[in-house]
Amino acid sequence: MNLNFRRSAPFLALLGLALGGCQPDLEDDPKSSAGQADFTTYIAVGNSLTAGFGDNGLYREGQLKSYPNFLAQQFRTVGGGDFVQPLFTEAQSNGSGYLSLTGFTATGTPITTLVTTNRAVRGGTAAAPLFTKFTDPINNLAVPGIRMSDILTAGYGSVQGNPYFERITPDATPGQTYLQRVQATVAALKPTFFTEWLGNNDVLGFATAGGAASSLTPVATFTTNTNLVLDALTAGGAKGLVATIPDVTGIPFFTTVGPGFRATLAANNVPGVVALTGAAPGGATSGNRKQIATADIRDAAGSGRQLFTLTSAPFLPLLGRPTGAPWRSFVPRAALATYLSAYGIDTLQAFGATPANPIPSTFILDDVEQGQVQTATTAFNAALTAAANQRNLAVFDANIFFRSVATSGFVTNGVPNTASFISGNLFSLDGVHPTPRGYAVIANEMIKAINAKYGAAVPGLDPTAYRGVRFPQ
Amino acid sequence: MMMIKNLLFAGGAVLVGASSAHAGGFQVYLPSQQSIGMGGVGVGLSMEQAAQFMNPGAMAMLRQNGVQLGVSATFARLAFRPAAGGPQRQLENTTVTPFNVYASFGPKEGKFRAGISIYTPYGSTLKYKNGWEGRFALTEITLRAIYVQPTVSYAITDQLSVGAGLMILAAGSVNLQRAIALPSAEGSIELDGKTKTGFGVNAGIFFKPSDKLSVGLSYRSKIDATVEDGDVTVVNPTAALQSRFVGNKFKATLPLPATFNVGVGIMPTDKLTIGFDVNFTQWSEYRALRFDFTKDGQPAQVGTGTFSESKRAYEDALTFRLGGQYKPSDKLALRLGAGYDMSPVKDGYVTPETPDNNRLIGTAGVGYNITENFGVDASFMFQAILKRTQTEDDLLNNGTTDRVAGTYRTNISIPGIGLRYNF
Repeated sequence: MNLNFRRSAPFLALLGLALGGCQPDLEDDPKSSAGQADFTTYIAVGNSLTAGFGDNGLYREGQLKSYPNFLAQQFRTVGGGDFVQPLFTEAQSNGSGYLSLTGFTATGTPITTLVTTNRAVRGGTAAAPLFTKFTDPINNLAVPGIRMSDILTAGYGSVQGNPYFERITPDATPGQTYLQRVQATVAALKPTFFTEWLGNNDVLGFATAGGAASSLTPVATFTTNTNLVLDALTAGGAKGLVATIPDVTGIPFFTTVGPGFRATLAANNVPGVVALTGAAPGGATSGNRKQIATADIRDAAGSGRQLFTLTSAPFLPLLGRPTGAPWRSFVPRAALATYLSAYGIDTLQAFGATPANPIPSTFILDDVEQGQVQTATTAFNAALTAAANQRNLAVFDANIFFRSVATSGFVTNGVPNTASFISGNLFSLDGVHPTPRGYAVIANEMIKAINAKYGAAVPGLDPTAYRGVRFPQ
Repeated sequence: MMMIKNLLFAGGAVLVGASSAHAGGFQVYLPSQQSIGMGGVGVGLSMEQAAQFMNPGAMAMLRQNGVQLGVSATFARLAFRPAAGGPQRQLENTTVTPFNVYASFGPKEGKFRAGISIYTPYGSTLKYKNGWEGRFALTEITLRAIYVQPTVSYAITDQLSVGAGLMILAAGSVNLQRAIALPSAEGSIELDGKTKTGFGVNAGIFFKPSDKLSVGLSYRSKIDATVEDGDVTVVNPTAALQSRFVGNKFKATLPLPATFNVGVGIMPTDKLTIGFDVNFTQWSEYRALRFDFTKDGQPAQVGTGTFSESKRAYEDALTFRLGGQYKPSDKLALRLGAGYDMSPVKDGYVTPETPDNNRLIGTAGVGYNITENFGVDASFMFQAILKRTQTEDDLLNNGTTDRVAGTYRTNISIPGIGLRYNF
């Protein structure tokens, strides 16, 4: 009997081979297509988010995992062509340098270290370095730091300007504005498709400085410039996508530190702290001091209003002690005495506990400043959406999307992700810019908007194939 | 009995456990080569030794002692396309060989008949190719359950007989593997364990009012396949997160649900037999798959907590089978059958370990009596698991985001061969 079974085994195996043809096929179900769009030549316009910036730096890995590069990769399955980015070379792969997670303290606080090897720095100063130039024609025109209000600024690409724009500005036209660069690129490459995601820095710079520096762009300027850049991009008849500006108050830069600080204060029965607000100079009685009740600090559940920045983390434990360290962290040494005198600050007083030595404005985005940011964001998004609709372009509403991520997270392929710092997988170590996984998620959301608008079936990516925050292995 | 023991041993040594999912959920309905050829019917028939699995009540109506055994080879071919589009994913080609062994003995013309059987009513083996989108839910599953069943059957009258068997989950094992999502690398986890012995009942009643008609009813009870002390193996956890992967043992229970079966047999002529069966499987028992993790007997964290629970919420399901056998001569039997198997898995609950949907089943078989006592049967079954699409919204709405959105489609081909010796 046993023998018979053994004899039948090869027969079964042969039959099995013949049955290989029973493989079902879903490859064209549905079939990938470009719909009414044409992805032959794609260009991207934007800021740090479009450049692939992350971990407080621009480096080769981030560039390769930028959402425009992801989009171009997916577009290639439906007729898309080459997509050139101003990549840092392998030898200078660390680009501007970036933050790296090197461990955790005993209490679980992350320890980050600045990576300064293999950078692409060719000169300038430590505070304002100049990067190795990349002057070949490029499809990704992203410039970290650029605001919508900067696109008409002559010399923005000069050595005194934005080093990321300077890096890609042709030597022959050092005074070229960003808008002119976009116009020149459209004329030269004749793009058939574009993405435009500008405007984040028109609120972000003000917000991340806690309202103490930078400014909110006037809505009129924002609207005018939005129309200019979209006119330039659609000049050759290209179709495209416009992304809106996310609500910055949901990003880990603002949500990570406050809840823990509030819990510590509550545990020690501290009723509140004193902070500086806004940017106006003046002493303790000038009206720029703000009392913040402990219960008014926003906790993880969303109760309370005041937001503490990620940059405040090292200094909050100094509360109640005489210290000048918080001020020295952002005021240049030479200007410190003048600054302290202008704001009536005495570093021998208890930090955060008295109007004489308040928590710096730059560490807190308070309720008033949040209102200003909110108003500006809403107005900018209205301008962006109107301009996009006018030109019949696809819109990725990043504001709605990131709001939903902030409240309920984002699960994909069985993997939960949230807007939490480090553990959430989506935001990098600077608490503002996405991780490669975050950028892949953004690319997928843009693809959804493009598919819906243009009747296309561009396949999405598997975001879980890309990393969150890199842990030491 | 000696001969049976040898046979059983031979079977165990040559063959490997159960099979890919073949009848709604992870049920494997491959009673015998003769039955498979006829679409799996047999609850209302008393043709063969496999009656003791399909309807123990029919066994007493068998007129001959006999031993039969059969083996099938299952070739499952799956295509998965993620909801976002992109390239389709497939399985690594694995072949599993569910088997069946039956023997029964009784005095000639006697009212009693005793039998023993070994069969594999539940199981699943699937191995997804590397890098597929659902890898955090599953990369590989091997689920095996081998039942041993001693049975007695008694003919109350010439027309009515009853029978019952003690179902013993004699050997079972589960092996689940999946990727684990870590911030900047992927690890993997393997859960591996053997089931405790479990017991159940298989009982049936058979009524044959005329030469041309017979009916049967049978019931097989649920057996919980419980793993008490399974091994947890985590590969490549991120150093800083090792404190999340402490547990090294797990406990889990998987219900192997009860089935109610009804069958009708029609014998219009001596040469033709037609069967129609309906199986009702109480899949609603399968509500969730829960693993409790321990280390040194104490609850211990693996992943996000000391246990993991994944919703199943299966629904009871019906299977309809129709099949026939035609004997052009005393030596030859030709068989044909079809079936429709309704999936117990609701939208939003489809998991990679049972990428299920309603199934269309077609079967064919041939039997040949080489001598008066010795016969051989070949069978072939083809199952098309219909296309099943699960959207992100289905997952979000049901709180089942631990699995993957996309479209599954599976074909299963099952050739088989059996031998029987009657005396």
